Amino acid sequence: MPHVKLFANLRTLAGTKELSIRGSTVGAVLNDLVKQNPALGEILLENGGLRPHIIITLNGNNMDDMDVEVNEQDIIAVFPPIAGG
Amino acid sequence: MAGWSEKILDIDLRTQTYKTYPLDMEMARLFVGGRGLGARLLWDMVGPEVDPLSPENVLIFTNGPLTGTGYQTSNRFSVSTKSPLTGTILDANSGGFWGMQFKKAGYDVMIVRGRSEKPVWIEIKYDVITFHDASELWGMRVFDLTKKLGQNNNKRNVLCIGPAGENLSRVASIMNDRERALARGGPGAVMGSKNLKAIVVEGKDRPAINDPERFKFLLYETRKLLAASPLTSQALPEFGTVVLMNIMNNIGALATRNHQQTQFEGADAISGEELTEKYLVKNASCWACPIGCTRYSKTEKVEGEGPEFESTWAFGAQCGIDDLPAIIEANSLCNDLGLDTISVGSTIACAMELSEKGYMDSNLRFGRADQLAPTIEAMAYRRDVGSDLADGSLRLATKYGHSELSMSAKGMEMPAYDPRGMQGQGLLYATSNRGGCHMRGNMVGSEVLGLPKMIDRFQVQGKSSFVILHQNVSAAIDSLVICKFTNMGVADEYFARVLSTVTGIQYDTGELTRVGERVWNLERLYNLREGFSRKDDTLPPRLLNDAPTEGPSKGWVVQLEPMLKEYYRSRGWDENGVPRPQKLEELKLADMLVRN
Repeated sequence: MPHVKLFANLRTLAGTKELSIRGSTVGAVLNDLVKQNPALGEILLENGGLRPHIIITLNGNNMDDMDVEVNEQDIIAVFPPIAGG
Repeated sequence: MAGWSEKILDIDLRTQTYKTYPLDMEMARLFVGGRGLGARLLWDMVGPEVDPLSPENVLIFTNGPLTGTGYQTSNRFSVSTKSPLTGTILDANSGGFWGMQFKKAGYDVMIVRGRSEKPVWIEIKYDVITFHDASELWGMRVFDLTKKLGQNNNKRNVLCIGPAGENLSRVASIMNDRERALARGGPGAVMGSKNLKAIVVEGKDRPAINDPERFKFLLYETRKLLAASPLTSQALPEFGTVVLMNIMNNIGALATRNHQQTQFEGADAISGEELTEKYLVKNASCWACPIGCTRYSKTEKVEGEGPEFESTWAFGAQCGIDDLPAIIEANSLCNDLGLDTISVGSTIACAMELSEKGYMDSNLRFGRADQLAPTIEAMAYRRDVGSDLADGSLRLATKYGHSELSMSAKGMEMPAYDPRGMQGQGLLYATSNRGGCHMRGNMVGSEVLGLPKMIDRFQVQGKSSFVILHQNVSAAIDSLVICKFTNMGVADEYFARVLSTVTGIQYDTGELTRVGERVWNLERLYNLREGFSRKDDTLPPRLLNDAPTEGPSKGWVVQLEPMLKEYYRSRGWDENGVPRPQKLEELKLADMLVRN
């Protein structure tokens, strides 16, 4: 199963920093993540898509194509809106 | 005219006298305030013949037409001078309360010239200026001194140097309101060279506003915009700037161990999440700021503001240290001694690499949290190994024959973002007028956070236009002066409306951006006049030649040359990076061309 890492307030909402989630694409993994942790849905999703400023990376590379296939070595990182500098 | 006080306070420390005279309002219209106005005045006052630490250098403190108006984040101010760290033009910019108080005292600009024979501090109470003997204050640290001189956030505000500035460390900051810093480029050393320990200010009158009713509406609208943005209403207040640690590490753009790697295995232990969970006491805010990004943290040894992301990175990943309490304490110590955390952390990291490689005889080693505090103390007092480090990483690395190990641009230590994973950031560092800096535009929004939209961080072609836009907008915001974080909830177009409402002069969006471009070009001309040239628009060889061997940025170096060529062309500069006469005409800088 692909590995999912959560950051900022997503950790508090999910009660964990990381977890393994079933799914063959980035989108499928995120859907299952939200199904298991409904509180994350309010932060991450809007009208069936990602909310603005949500950042998803696959093995450290920004990802906006939810149909990209993933395998069990892959790491998906999920960030809520963050800012700084 | 509303917005500006139309008054310059001009102080001569040698004679301990002062005079006031009107601000040239045509100059104010073109350069607005803050960084822009400071650059324009410095151009006339400090030429290439002036040593930055000589009495002939000046400190020009400026606020802007929005400062002190009560517009959201209108607390900021600048100091402009010739940098003793880089030799370039310098402006350093700070928040807190002092800038607002300075504006309420009735001045747009305060010029400090000369050198006092004995230590002195200055007290400004509206239009009464008093010079006090500071002999007994010399040697005091920032926190005690700030308290002693009567810091009271909304009434009386203290700006001062610590021992580092007195000892002319070229990475010394000027501190205000205890823990806010005019940090970068060594302005604290310039103040120390003048024997000036502190400037305390009390004001009384808020600046006049041309259209108060419309201004009230803009305040209301801005409050709504900031509250509606998840960035300014949630992200910044909840986790502060340190929340960037994990994402920069995740994408392989977190400079680590003096930029030898681009990912740090201890990043999560020094992250915003960790800081919030274990050490955060409360949030804090600058004057008139509804965002409240400031952390107020506590360890067993210290309690106070900070640390910010860059400071946490500098003492953390850059030094290979994952001990967050030690980092918080190092940050606090720098504030108390009056030192720039980014330059200090990166200089220590440089010394660690020099020592580990056997180029420098010291016991400094990556990962040694216990070495931070004593090394910082030694730097401030120029003791032992600190005497080598007190003037920054480039002078240190050059002394030991390995200047290539200084992770700096134009001699200023770069912040956390490793540009091998952010090509635009590399171009930004190389072309920054004050050296390696993320506050002269920052590509983290566009290349990492998707603000306003995500662009490919490894893309080279076309990157210069984004960099130029960020640089110009940054210079404009620094001239208003407000906090750049406001721009995360409020589009920069909006600021032109606020400026017009406050001053009564109609600035459209294009004109405000043009102010930023004008300021940028003037700063460039200043550096050219100082002898800087195309060869200085570069980065450490490590970033240009040594690709990371693992992580998401594996295989990438900064592709500087093609970006730089495109950048010069897009700026309207020639192939050597000199603004073309037509560009200077367009920006109303043609008289600088004659004098360049």
